[in-house]
Amino acid sequence: MNNSATQIPTDNSTYHIPEAALDLISGPQWLHKMRQTARKVFNDTPLPQRGLALWRYTNPESFLVDHNQMVGAQSCEGCNKTTEEVRQQFNDGNLAGLAIDCCGRDIEIQTGPDAEQGLVILPLSVAMDTHEKLIQKHFGQLVGSDTGKFEALNTALWHDGIFVYVPDNTTIENPVHLLRYGDGAKTTYYPRLLIVLDNNAQLTLIDEYSDGSVEHDNGYAYVNGAVEIFGAKDSRCNYIPLQQHTSSTRIYLNHRTRIEQGASTFTIPLVFGSGLSKENFGVYLDGSGAESNIYGVLFGSGHQQFDNHTLHHHRASKTLSNIDFKVVLRDRAVSAYTGLIRIDQNAVACEAYQGNRNLLLNEGTRAETIPELEILNEDVQCSHGATVGPVDPEMVFFLTARGINREEAIRMIVSGFIEGTLSHIPNNLQERISNIVQQRLEVN
Amino acid sequence: MSEPLFEFKNIHVEVEGKKVVHGVSLKINKGEVHAIMGPNGSGKSSLSNALMGHPAYKITQGEAFLDGRNLINMSADERSRAGLFLAFQYPLAIPGVTVANFMRAALQSHRGKDADMTDFRKLFTAQMKELHVDRSFATRYLNDGFSGGEKKRIEILQMSMLKPRIALLDETDSGLDIDALKQVAEGINRYHNDENGVLMVTHYQRLLNYVKPQYVHVMYKGQFVTSGGPELALKLEDRGYEWIEKKVGQEAEV
Ligand SMILES: Nc1ncnc2c1ncn2[C@@H]1O[C@H](COP(=O)(O)OP(=O)(O)OP(=O)(O)O)[C@@H](O)[C@H]1O
Ligand SMILES: [Mg+2]
Repeated sequence: MNNSATQIPTDNSTYHIPEAALDLISGPQWLHKMRQTARKVFNDTPLPQRGLALWRYTNPESFLVDHNQMVGAQSCEGCNKTTEEVRQQFNDGNLAGLAIDCCGRDIEIQTGPDAEQGLVILPLSVAMDTHEKLIQKHFGQLVGSDTGKFEALNTALWHDGIFVYVPDNTTIENPVHLLRYGDGAKTTYYPRLLIVLDNNAQLTLIDEYSDGSVEHDNGYAYVNGAVEIFGAKDSRCNYIPLQQHTSSTRIYLNHRTRIEQGASTFTIPLVFGSGLSKENFGVYLDGSGAESNIYGVLFGSGHQQFDNHTLHHHRASKTLSNIDFKVVLRDRAVSAYTGLIRIDQNAVACEAYQGNRNLLLNEGTRAETIPELEILNEDVQCSHGATVGPVDPEMVFFLTARGINREEAIRMIVSGFIEGTLSHIPNNLQERISNIVQQRLEVN
Repeated sequence: MSEPLFEFKNIHVEVEGKKVVHGVSLKINKGEVHAIMGPNGSGKSSLSNALMGHPAYKITQGEAFLDGRNLINMSADERSRAGLFLAFQYPLAIPGVTVANFMRAALQSHRGKDADMTDFRKLFTAQMKELHVDRSFATRYLNDGFSGGEKKRIEILQMSMLKPRIALLDETDSGLDIDALKQVAEGINRYHNDENGVLMVTHYQRLLNYVKPQYVHVMYKGQFVTSGGPELALKLEDRGYEWIEKKVGQEAEV
């Protein structure tokens, strides 16, 4: 483990990835090549044009870092509380596995009895040796240098990440919990995750992102993460990305899932943190009968700025997708949500639904919502809907007419609003999330 | 005569810039049951909502007192805690909030923030049983997907739990089947005693057969135009509102 704060070598162009940066990262030859390609793509690709497509609401420059000014994230002090809580859950036998990924440098992994069933959780650096074929087949297929400029950045510079594998016909009952800690000011962290579920495998995974350091004002921390999930035939994956970075962290995360015939996936984005965040949740439905649900909850306060995207790409017939993305904003928080449903010409008899509801708790918050449909055949059922507005005053009146004060009435209504989503996540987490929301509603 | 339990004087109500109640007054003493009847759109719900403190139904003029306390400057939750209860004509659904959690929060607010609630479950279960409400309703989301009759029954459940000083019941009888009407009426009678009061808004005599009012008031175009004993309800049932229209006809027309 490298514990000195490595200054990344310099290069001419301010935001370019210096060539020598890659030399600091070890790995097999094919991976090194991939990194080199990604570096070149990143350096050669102009910034996405502001105002176009996915960049309507966020300035891409916000995610650029001057590599000369940055250090790779190293340490995580102060991340203990969550760690202890989750460790306790593991010790109590409520988790199948636990990984603590400290800045992509130091990855600690614990697995319970489920490992005997074949559950694999490893640092990617280790899995490169033990499961090289599997990794080579999947790695970079969903998020790589051809996905976009910022995905190329991650692909070039990720240090270490996590690999999770569930073999054929294996159900992992308890959730796997990943804790991914970023660092303080002027650091960069490139989380990376690869999940492979074989035929008829089943997994629930909580992917929690936060900072080891406390909130600060001496420069941003930058997190740029990539997640790839492959669900083979008839597999079932519950993926719960929970994002709790401090507001001094800027994050760019791309989560991509591909599912085959008869497979299903539940993606439950829980978006709470970061000063400026851009998160992508995308699912490719590649086999007949595949089903994807995305049930999201976002809570924003202070001056937080969120830019979320979902993608449901139906590439096979008889596939079903459903989105229910809920947003609650207070103070001066702003959120933009763009949801793209794409149904290929040869993907017939598909169903696709998309909903985005935004609760604005006070004036000064703002929510944008944009559905985008690219439906290339007629034989589909598709609908989308969005609402943006304050808490229903009639509901507030109803509760206050029973003696409940206004603030508590609003807390109850907001909790109720997200309750339906939380019922889909594991019990342990449910309570934590309700508490987070309650706290965020209370603080003035 | 001691101070009335509940009294409002010369109440004027405006909603959406429209004047819908034009100066109504009423006194309810402890132990009394009053009924308000009147054609659709005459302002009964507007009056009830305004008294409860609905922000859209503004009391532009008038006074209201409960146990001698001035209600006008109180918010809805303060009025509730002061002992006023309104059973809604159209109870609203609150998705994601269970009946039990809602009820607990409501009762807690009445008892005070730090009050002991260990008896809640027992109390709640007992009241549900008395009102023939299935236990499964405790964990259902409030009014979410409830039938019309179920909603009304749950309103009375809330009243029974909160034990208000005065209960305004806005068409609690509408939408109830014959058995349900009886059970709900029994619930109201169990609640009612010599110390509290009931003000029911209804269109039909049938509720009044079970819950017997001493006074019946007729509301017409935003005003109380006549009052009487229980026989007035029978007369309305028999003859409708046409005679009332005639009675106030000339003034109203001009
Ligand atoms: N929120 C509102 N916005 C606009 N107009 C309203 C509103 N609420 C009530 N009104 C109007 O006020 C008048 C009185 O309505 P209200 O509901 O009080 O009548 P009601 O006597 O309760 O009738 P019903 O017997 O049908 O329940 C009606 O003309 C109605 O359209
Ligand atoms: Mg009415």
